[in-house]
Amino acid sequence: MIPILRVAGHILVSVQTELGDDVVETFQDAVLMAIHNDRGRTDGVVIDITALEVVDTYVARVLADTAAMAKLMGRQTVVVGMRPDVAFTLVQMGFTLPEVHTALNIDDGIAWLDALHTPGTTRAQRVGPLDAPRSEPDTNR
Amino acid sequence: MASYTERFGFDDTKLRERLRYFDIHETDLSLLITHAELGRELTPGIVEAFYNHLLACPETAEYLSAPGMVERLQRKQSHYFHSMFSGDLDLAYVEERLRVGAVHERIGVPPRWYIGAYSRYLVVAHAAFHGRLEQAEAVATTAALEKVMHFDAALAMDAYIAAHLETATRQRAAIRELSTPVIRVHDRVLLLPLIGTVDSNRAQEVMQQALIKVSEEQARVLLLDIAGVAVVDTQVADHLLKMTSAVRLLGAQTVLTGISPMVARTMVELGVDVGTMHTRNALSDGLELALDLVGMKIGPIA
Repeated sequence: MIPILRVAGHILVSVQTELGDDVVETFQDAVLMAIHNDRGRTDGVVIDITALEVVDTYVARVLADTAAMAKLMGRQTVVVGMRPDVAFTLVQMGFTLPEVHTALNIDDGIAWLDALHTPGTTRAQRVGPLDAPRSEPDTNR
Repeated sequence: MASYTERFGFDDTKLRERLRYFDIHETDLSLLITHAELGRELTPGIVEAFYNHLLACPETAEYLSAPGMVERLQRKQSHYFHSMFSGDLDLAYVEERLRVGAVHERIGVPPRWYIGAYSRYLVVAHAAFHGRLEQAEAVATTAALEKVMHFDAALAMDAYIAAHLETATRQRAAIRELSTPVIRVHDRVLLLPLIGTVDSNRAQEVMQQALIKVSEEQARVLLLDIAGVAVVDTQVADHLLKMTSAVRLLGAQTVLTGISPMVARTMVELGVDVGTMHTRNALSDGLELALDLVGMKIGPIA
């Protein structure tokens, strides 16, 4: 069970269990389905890995892949809360994850995602209230 | 404070093993007990000869120059000599030997004096026993005495080595602490001035400590000043790059400062790719950049 929340116009995934082979697909599905189901009401994805004491190269790969998948669906991803010893080990193994953006905590992660968009505008202003029907851009014109 | 036997992990099993290794058996001990009287009788002569020897050597004589020192030590030596004939090579005996070894180490008596002293003891004791006992009995008794003395000397050396190791460990810990002074220069800005030689061990140590600090302080920027680093070669540059990568994984940024013209030249000539790093020449410039990254700036008062 991967808890997925919507916070300040972003999807927040808090990884609470070690991402073993069996959980990985569920995890990715959950994130991608959350993006799909929100119908453009969120801007980015925050993956919080504070609880992960071990991140091996496989899990690192999974995080990078998930970010890449989310990007294909039009969402930027930020990985937050990596522990010092996890970062140390990954770098020692030559895994620097250059394609993944990172932040110290959820606040910083959200701030970064917000900064990607026009300063001074809030999500609500850009997309409108959550329950309002979303006006689809007319692509034919 | 724990006893020496405890600190050295000396228990009955270890003691038995040690005695077996030194080939000390009941027969040896009972032989010593049998001749304890003679031992006592010969002790003053042996101890005196021993101290005359020490006083004849300028190096050791200097140690014994304090008034009353020789008399006091002679009493102790006599006591020690008697205890060797007691036949009680138990944990209490080991404790005493270790303690004496540690004391000698502390007051700066080099091990060579220790070994030399034992050797001298044996020569004097040998002569004394051979003068008083039957040939076969004298050989067996001095052999037993020799084993016990070597057993004792080994314990003293154990104490010496352990004391040195303790000192070395303490110093290493102190150096380690000194080598990673992470300073909080502003809210969410840390400064790590690197000084001296950066080898692989140290680089890893520094990196670990720095990462922990960044995480603890939730720092956005780590200023890494390498002005004090003696040599910047490919290896050092590689460590710096790794550190930058790891700091980024936490979600913070590194600003590398203190890059002298020579270091800049070296890094480019070595083909180090610093494209991913913020770098500055002076620490003050780096600080400005760091503050900029956290949305602050230094300005004039008025």
